[in-house]
Amino acid sequence: MGVEGFEPKIVAFMCNWCTYAGADNAGVARLESPANILPIRVMCSGRISPEAVMRAFRAGADGVLVMGCHIGDCHYAAGNHRTIKRMPLLRNLLSYVGVNPERMELVWVSAAEAPRFVQVTKAFTQKIKELGPLSQEVTE
Amino acid sequence: MIDEIRKAVAERLNDNRPEGRLDGIVALRKSSQGVAPHLFQKGDDLSELEIAPKYPLTTLVSKLHKRYPTIKLGIVARGCDERAYIEMAKRNQIDPDRLYIIGFACTAEDAQACYCPEPFPKNLVVGTPPAPGPVNPLVAKYDAMPLVERRAFWKQQFNKCLKCYGCRNICPECFCEACAMEDMAWVEPGLLAPPFPTFHLIRAMHMASRCVACRECEHACPAHIPLTVLYDLMRRDINDLLGYLPGADIQAKPPLSLSLEQSPLRQGAAH
Amino acid sequence: MSMVTLTIDGQKIEAQEGQTILEVCRRNSLDIPTLCNHPALEPYGACRMCTVEVIRKGGSSLHTACTHPAWDGLEVKTNSSAVREVRKTIIGLLLSRCPNVPVIQELALEYGVKEPPFAADNPDEKCILCGLCVRVCNDLVKAHVLNFSQRGVDRVVGPPFMEKTRQCIGCGACTIVCPTGAIEIVLEKSAVYAAKPLGPTAAIYVPSLQAVPRVPVIDTDSCIRFRQRDRTNGEITDACGACQMLCEAGAIDFTQKDEIIELDVGVVIVATGFAMWDPKKLSQYSYGKSPNIITGDQFERLSNAGGPTSGQILLADGRKPEKVAIIHCIGSRDHNAHEYCSRICCMYALKHAHLVRDKTGAEVFEFYMDMRTFGKGYEEFYERVQEEGVNMIRGRGAEVEVLPDGKLRVKGEDANLGRIVSANVDMVVLCTAIEAQPDADKIGALFGLSRSQDGFFAEAHPKLRPVETNTDGVFLAGCAQGPRDVPDTVAHAGAAASMALALMDKGEVVISPTTAIVTRERCVGCGDCIPVCPYTAIARVDGKAEINAALCKGCGTCVATCPSGAIEALHFTDEQLVAQIEGVLAWV
Repeated sequence: MGVEGFEPKIVAFMCNWCTYAGADNAGVARLESPANILPIRVMCSGRISPEAVMRAFRAGADGVLVMGCHIGDCHYAAGNHRTIKRMPLLRNLLSYVGVNPERMELVWVSAAEAPRFVQVTKAFTQKIKELGPLSQEVTE
Repeated sequence: MIDEIRKAVAERLNDNRPEGRLDGIVALRKSSQGVAPHLFQKGDDLSELEIAPKYPLTTLVSKLHKRYPTIKLGIVARGCDERAYIEMAKRNQIDPDRLYIIGFACTAEDAQACYCPEPFPKNLVVGTPPAPGPVNPLVAKYDAMPLVERRAFWKQQFNKCLKCYGCRNICPECFCEACAMEDMAWVEPGLLAPPFPTFHLIRAMHMASRCVACRECEHACPAHIPLTVLYDLMRRDINDLLGYLPGADIQAKPPLSLSLEQSPLRQGAAH
Repeated sequence: MSMVTLTIDGQKIEAQEGQTILEVCRRNSLDIPTLCNHPALEPYGACRMCTVEVIRKGGSSLHTACTHPAWDGLEVKTNSSAVREVRKTIIGLLLSRCPNVPVIQELALEYGVKEPPFAADNPDEKCILCGLCVRVCNDLVKAHVLNFSQRGVDRVVGPPFMEKTRQCIGCGACTIVCPTGAIEIVLEKSAVYAAKPLGPTAAIYVPSLQAVPRVPVIDTDSCIRFRQRDRTNGEITDACGACQMLCEAGAIDFTQKDEIIELDVGVVIVATGFAMWDPKKLSQYSYGKSPNIITGDQFERLSNAGGPTSGQILLADGRKPEKVAIIHCIGSRDHNAHEYCSRICCMYALKHAHLVRDKTGAEVFEFYMDMRTFGKGYEEFYERVQEEGVNMIRGRGAEVEVLPDGKLRVKGEDANLGRIVSANVDMVVLCTAIEAQPDADKIGALFGLSRSQDGFFAEAHPKLRPVETNTDGVFLAGCAQGPRDVPDTVAHAGAAASMALALMDKGEVVISPTTAIVTRERCVGCGDCIPVCPYTAIARVDGKAEINAALCKGCGTCVATCPSGAIEALHFTDEQLVAQIEGVLAWV
């Protein structure tokens, strides 16, 4: 399935207060996370529209991560409540048009969870490596 | 059936009670040019009133309501018209206090042709409800279809798309002044059928909480793309995920804007 | 109330009309022995100990001072030979009934009664039938459990038919008023703390000598009055109330209720402190299995001059310990409990060791992993305590076993010797972890505060912003943010107070520029955006959405919700997002 030597491009939307801070803390603690992760900072995961995720795929991302605060911890009270509703619908829709839904994942990572950020990004990168480039999938 | 409808329309148009008075009733009219939506007013020749071919009349109601803030209208409505009105009313496009529904039941043939889940309105005035149409066979076997097959199917279908925007134009729920499908940030102008079908995915996502299964988009599509297969799947998903069925209940608030406390997630929505 | 004058032992004394001779004597510090008298109860005259000589109209008679009113012109002799003779007789009778009751033996000694004149029916008898328990149970507590029954030599005090009754609420009032200790409170489960020093306190109590404010509080769960009210669904509301009766300042008000005060504030400082970790969670320390295994803060109380033992370090049975073990890091630095170091324990453990040595001379074994004495003068203190002869064992104290004879065996590793060691001691002090308060998640949700991995509230930046949080105007002070000792807490709290004052002083607040704005031409008024805003910044104006920039905090959720793209997030526009997406993907 995977292409030899393939390094996936993964766009990771991160909310400023939790995931971005967690990623920052991972850096401060000198924990290594994959260079495949391309962070896009937004103020809240609620800012991420399904269109933005689609745009990332269209622009060449092989995988997209949508990351934010845990439910109940959103800096803006309940922005992530809307995210947790939108993203599963989008994920299903991708699967309906034949795009492997595993290429898109919604994960909550808080500012205190630097090791978890590393673990999540490593696991996702590995998964996308195995799935291969998206271009291969949609032009087959 | 058509006679009964014309009679019901005539009755309402002639209703002079202050609380019952209507400025007009929106229905289809047959003329030498064909069948088109029309605002029938008191004194009009109702023998011209038609109910086929099906057309989303709620769009006209919405335009009239907005243009004339005090106008009181009636509508000759199928089940899908009423469902469309319900979702539009929730979104402030139609004023429920200024609309009187003369509902009629579709025929069994209509129900089958539209794979309609509810081929009659709640405000039923004429006709007896037929059995619901079957589920679209494409939808019924969708879960069993492997990703590769799905991909191939939609690649073929979307290749036919010429971005006429017919689907968007005819849809009663697509009333936005500015449309995301025309937003250059998401959809590149001048490009047909890119490998990643953003154009179609945007509409499908928006349809999740709005599509009332009226099938007008599919009827309008000159390339005969089975769009409602995707939209039926989205309707099913939002019902599984959030217990929301567009067009079912005018009191039910669209869940994607609400918090989890107001509209909680249910289990088992991943397919 | 009019005043009367009477003469007691030759002294002219003024008294209020209506008082008894005993009350007048007590007020004037004239000593009259009593057994059956209590200031909160009606006098009964049962024990006759307060008998005095009353001289009136030339004649002398003997009366109990507790019942005789102090009339004007009365002459009283409290210690004449007649009185002493009578008291001797009374004590003799009491001693005959209860030869082994200490308080009667003391009176016998005082009044020169050497032998009881009669043989006791039951030498272990303690009850002198004074009726205090009956009066307190019926008149004050109003539980109506105890009373006299039978006559003459068979007279006894107890519940109806001398049977255990559910009417007894276990208030202990009878035990407290009984002058001879004839009534015991026995818990149905065996009491861990049998001895009085660490035993229960009254339902109204001053929490500690260091309490602020230093006034008594009523524990409504044990207070007789409140319990009776709960038991009778509010019907009996005048049970007991002894405290109110006796309070001369009239400061006790049983009708006080919790008041909810609403304040509009602009700045909040969260200083909710810490909680003590429960050592029962690690059963190898046997906490709860012996009264002599105590936590660090329990030791603080024990050693406190205002504590149950007036500051003496005693075991539960009242003896002085000969060997004490102090174990560090109970629940801290532990993957099975809290991973972090609780920071304050090494210093207080050394302090406790020093106190034990100083107050009892007992041998001290201190099991520690590392000695974290980092502050000003801390290392010097550590050295001093070592010089005081405390046995420092460098290795985790792993286990405390309760031996059959009540001694405690502490096992641990001595890393310097490279072997397992054990010490049999009388008392073990566990230096337990401090942790975030159990309601930290609720407080966090209230103020929009997140928590760090250790459970304490998260500061805005671990190095540069220790007292601020991610919510503007909400600050942290002290252990709510993480373990720290007193000097560090004072510094931290001072910083929080300064930042709070600076914010209030400024008179204006800088708000985020990343607000959202609506392009009216693109808005169709569907209203999808309105419920999405947590700050109610979006309103419908003339059929279209409008955003109040002062309320908007810039989260952008409305932007993503709008199907038309009619709302734009300043500095996070869709175009900017797309530019970033294309940028990063091109860069790789």
